[in-house]
Amino acid sequence: MSEDLHHSKDATAEAVQPGDDWAIVASRVSRSFGPRKAVDDVSFQLPNKAFLSIFGPNGAGKTTLLKVLSTLLPMTGKGSASVAGFDVKTQADELRRRLGIISHNPLLYRDLSAEENLLFFAELYCIPNPKERINELLEAVELSHRRYDVVRGFSRGMTQRLSIARALLPKPEVLFLDEPYSGLDPHASDILDSLIGSIRDNHTFVMVSHDLDKGFQLASHALIMSRGQIVLYDECNNIDQGAFKSLYREVVGLGVS
Amino acid sequence: MDNSLPKISSWRQYKALLRKDIAQELRTKEMVTSMGLYGILVLVIYYIALSQTGTEFDVTAIAAGLLLLMIVFTSMLGLNRSLIHEHDQGQLEALLLAPIDRPVIFLAKATTNFLFLAIVQVVVVPLFYLIYVSGALPVLLGDITPGPWWMTAIVLFLGAVGIAGVGTLLATISVNTAGRDFILAVLFIPVMYPLLLVLVTALNAAIMGGPGFEATFWQMCAAAAFYNAVLIAVAYGLYDYILGV
Amino acid sequence: MKDLLIKARDFLQGREIQIAIVLAVIGGILTTIAFVMAFTTANMQYHTTTVNVPSFVHDTRVPLAPPEFQPQPPDGTVNYHNPWFSQKIFYFHVPIAQLSLLVFTLAAIFSVLFLRTKDPNYDLRSRVAMETTLLFTLGTMISGSLWTRASWINSWGELFGTLLSEPRLVTYSVMLMFVVAYFVLRRSVSGEEKRATYSAVFSILAWIIVPFSFIFTRVTNQVQAHPTDALNPGMDTSNLIPFIICIFGMMMLGYAIYTLRVREEKKRAQIEAIKEDIEDALADAAKAGSPTGAPNYSAAAVLGTPKSKEKK
Repeated sequence: MSEDLHHSKDATAEAVQPGDDWAIVASRVSRSFGPRKAVDDVSFQLPNKAFLSIFGPNGAGKTTLLKVLSTLLPMTGKGSASVAGFDVKTQADELRRRLGIISHNPLLYRDLSAEENLLFFAELYCIPNPKERINELLEAVELSHRRYDVVRGFSRGMTQRLSIARALLPKPEVLFLDEPYSGLDPHASDILDSLIGSIRDNHTFVMVSHDLDKGFQLASHALIMSRGQIVLYDECNNIDQGAFKSLYREVVGLGVS
Repeated sequence: MDNSLPKISSWRQYKALLRKDIAQELRTKEMVTSMGLYGILVLVIYYIALSQTGTEFDVTAIAAGLLLLMIVFTSMLGLNRSLIHEHDQGQLEALLLAPIDRPVIFLAKATTNFLFLAIVQVVVVPLFYLIYVSGALPVLLGDITPGPWWMTAIVLFLGAVGIAGVGTLLATISVNTAGRDFILAVLFIPVMYPLLLVLVTALNAAIMGGPGFEATFWQMCAAAAFYNAVLIAVAYGLYDYILGV
Repeated sequence: MKDLLIKARDFLQGREIQIAIVLAVIGGILTTIAFVMAFTTANMQYHTTTVNVPSFVHDTRVPLAPPEFQPQPPDGTVNYHNPWFSQKIFYFHVPIAQLSLLVFTLAAIFSVLFLRTKDPNYDLRSRVAMETTLLFTLGTMISGSLWTRASWINSWGELFGTLLSEPRLVTYSVMLMFVVAYFVLRRSVSGEEKRATYSAVFSILAWIIVPFSFIFTRVTNQVQAHPTDALNPGMDTSNLIPFIICIFGMMMLGYAIYTLRVREEKKRAQIEAIKEDIEDALADAAKAGSPTGAPNYSAAAVLGTPKSKEKK
């Protein structure tokens, strides 16, 4: 592995206090069961309004890392992490209110209409004036005309747009995208691109992706994981794309680009 | 910065969860119709199974068991369905990502399961009662005087509470396994064994009547209520662990 | 005295396996001795069996056991009030039954510990305790069935009815259902932590339900055929000695089985971990251009394959 790509790893290991400048501070985050370490001693900081792309082969621990940071899975060991300034372990509820997730799974109820789905999640987040917020969001994702239709009848792209609206309901500060492009046709993926582009400036993003080009196109920061550990973490400006791609290929082990 | 965020109200979340399940059920009518239909089919099977017993056979003696059997089978069907709705699109994950106390999810799910079980029973049980209790020969001839109908209702209520409470926990486990329906049955029967035993005794007392049947009935109801209280408390406590993996 | 205790502790530490093997041998010998004593030195006593007899037994005064279970003594002087065999099986049935409840409780305790710590070692111990429970529950039920047959039922066909009506037998039937369900559940969950968590939750539930099934069977059913005064202090010395020897022997055997199985499973887990390490190391070697000397895994070969396919 090329040494020049590694210089930033040591820098991130230094403890940095969570503050207003950092959207995510992970310090020595681990997640293991017995000898198996899904996430192994991961430390990094992500500034506010940044866009982090996490790359890595299957089973590298990307999704597990997202789940730990989103409080779905408890952390093991002595590490700590905070998202949007709230500790993962002790301030889970506060954290959850500031976090939106867009996954390849729509996380929607298929037998409810678009509006009912959003209304339900709005109630879960105890949003005041849910109707207004929902109108606003349905407008934004261009689904106003389908608001009374059952999600079951939606196309993959429409479902994904609705699930973006769901994620944005509580006005989250941080958005996690777990392979949001998988299963989308080119058109739907363009719409997703422009949607992300329109909210890009006001949110912090963390995206897990297999698609190197897509990941790079949006990202301000890039992270490669392998076997639960960080192989590389840096700002995209400092990264030479060619070297990055060859490193990624090395990590994945096969000629995947 | 925090002041701008609204206060989280568990009650509001609980209501939202209930409304969601009911709206879903009103749209698909999946649980109630499948359970109700299944219950009626079980009645048909009973009719076939008992078609050769002749006039001498006193069906009221086994009516309590038949009724309980019908309820156990229909409710297992319903429990499975109710949790599949939370699972196939990762909806449960979305619930867990919301700022919601985990027990609220359990209580809401158990409540709607109870509600649907109760609705189905209101439809199917009177039918059963007409055929096998009030329509049975010994009752018509006055040899047997069944207890009042509300006694049966109390037993079925206690049964639905226990089945919905503990069953919700078991169905949450089984929905995450390979072979959901089978696993639910394997877990459900031993866990429900004590409850079913006292329920059938209470039902039998309520249907058969006889001297001193009220004492037996209330004893058994107290036992069932005790079981429900303990087991629902345990299920409530353990639910968090099930959701945490 | 203190020095001696510390010395003993130091000696015992790290020798679990040797101790388990020694206990297995001693336990086996003790159980055998108890077995021999039960059939040679122990006297006949009247007080054990037949308390309340279920309705389906016609007449309690009739010796119910089949003749092969109660041979007449050669001199014909002893008048048996109780079937001969039921007295003998008692020495084994009771210790096994006690042990099965003990390991069942142990499984629940380890399950609680697992849920609190998420340490896979507790999951392993809980699982092995469940296996041991299965073994001893089956032992209890088999020996109990023989006893039942010898004491208070007319035919083997009545056995199943007894299993579902007599409180103690119901308890064991339910326990067996639970143990079987526990293993069925384990097999059908994928993901180690999920499997461990679900089975821990279930074994705690099981431990809570089993007493319920005992009490509820008792309150719903008048059948109470199982002898309850088995541990009557009036037990004859010649009976008490093999009984106590058997309890100790069985406990040693139970402990040894449990410890050895835990050890075996731990080793198995270690082997799996090592296998994974080897696979990882091989993959690393492949990526790093095979400095460890595994030519087949060279990076060029791995990276080359998809390209050559593209050309075709």
